[in-house]
Amino acid sequence: MANVLDLKRRIRSVKNTRQITKAMKMVSAAKLRRAQERAMQARPYAQMLANVLQSLVRRADLYGGDGVDVMHPLLVEREEKNVLVLVIAGDKGFAGAFNANVGKAAQRFVDGRRAKRQPTEENPSPGEQNIDIETVGRKARDLFKRKYPEAQWEHIDQEYDNGLAHHIEDVRHRKAPIEVTYDRSVLLAKLNFVEVDKAGHSIIDRYERGEIDSVYIVYNEFKSVIAQRVVVEKLLPIRKLGSPEVTVLEEMTEEQKEAAGRAAAEAGISVNETPASAQEKEAKTFGTADVDYIYDQPPQTLFRHLLPRYVTTQIYHALLESSASEQAARMTAMDAASSNASDMIDSLTLTMNRVRQAAITKEIIEIVSGAAAI
Amino acid sequence: MAEETTTSGQLAVRIVTPDRVLVDTTADGVELPALSGYMEALYGAAPLLAELGAGEVKLHGGSSGDAKFFVAWGFVEVLPQRVTILAETAMKPSEIDPSQAQQQLADAEKDWSQAGDDAEKYEYARAEIRVAEEKIAAAKDR
Repeated sequence: MANVLDLKRRIRSVKNTRQITKAMKMVSAAKLRRAQERAMQARPYAQMLANVLQSLVRRADLYGGDGVDVMHPLLVEREEKNVLVLVIAGDKGFAGAFNANVGKAAQRFVDGRRAKRQPTEENPSPGEQNIDIETVGRKARDLFKRKYPEAQWEHIDQEYDNGLAHHIEDVRHRKAPIEVTYDRSVLLAKLNFVEVDKAGHSIIDRYERGEIDSVYIVYNEFKSVIAQRVVVEKLLPIRKLGSPEVTVLEEMTEEQKEAAGRAAAEAGISVNETPASAQEKEAKTFGTADVDYIYDQPPQTLFRHLLPRYVTTQIYHALLESSASEQAARMTAMDAASSNASDMIDSLTLTMNRVRQAAITKEIIEIVSGAAAI
Repeated sequence: MAEETTTSGQLAVRIVTPDRVLVDTTADGVELPALSGYMEALYGAAPLLAELGAGEVKLHGGSSGDAKFFVAWGFVEVLPQRVTILAETAMKPSEIDPSQAQQQLADAEKDWSQAGDDAEKYEYARAEIRVAEEKIAAAKDR
């Protein structure tokens, strides 16, 4: 049986742990509030952009002659031979099942894609479907780098015109059907639009060059503290502006929702979806006024310039939601850890008191029986 | 709606970036750096959609007096009572860091000279140079 001193030590150590988890919970709560705010502030822009694009589609002649040919490469649907999957997770652990869920969902998505290419009756000889994985967040990177090989590029730098000009090109040598191409964890660390824009453009470039035929993002969608789910969103090609194609892969269980609700109530965070601000409501009417606009540039040009921005905004949005989800998940996990620590302290204190009592009783018995013996 | 809340003769002006709503105010007139050159929108202007270049947005009159903002890339919707600017970057002149802008210019010029035969890189560098130059100009006359 453990002695009183050992138990005291253990209680002290668990108390320290509880202090840390409590602090982490409060930090995540503060970060969550900030992340939620950022997500809110990003909404008007995204909404307005989608509206303008929609109204351009309605007004301008973006579709070729008979309405079949699409003018913009980002709208063109091709057979999906090369698929890019962008997996968004977090940099740090201690966030419950947050990272594991994204990883699992992404894995299932990748496996499902590969399985789909088995020959069927309608399509007896499907080509090989290659999948490129891009990761955001260290947890996602570690998971997929262990599983799949990294993509290899060969850098070519040729001189021509007697050394007057250079031809620079990176040639990809694919070795396996599933490869990890880039790690974009830098996006999470800063999370500003400029960085996201660069990443977005690199994806769009590859799409336009035909290196990839479709792009999906796997991330944690954040509706409120008690409503988060892992979703797959089809980024490219764009099917319908303003309403992306979303498939839900994983939802929170009732139990998880309850735990999250408790944690949020303690930290003073509303569990309701943040209501739309006045600006956001007005953003919905942006660009939809029933008037004939004068276009400073031809509508086709405007459309061509705005569409890539729409894609970037979509990625930005996914990142913001994922970071809010991460903080919410961490807050819930840390709340659970704190209450577990409290339970443990209670049970250890009880044991300690019993041990102490037992020792005292034993001493009394010894004294009494000693006295009786004389 | 803006139409009801705005007193006649005042434009509702809003500058929105992907991160935030920078400005939400009223003005008599707005000068805008459209891609094809500067333009000014007054109350009752014809509805217009234009792409933005890089440069300064100047607000005249209005509730908070004259004001200037640096914007780069995006587009603008002009309605008779309302001007909405969607910009990729938008800053108050006081937020511009001149030394950072100089650095950006230097980097962009380096990229430009090293772009070689890559048209995309060339275009990108040119756009960056323009942003940096406009930023420096905006920081100077704040």
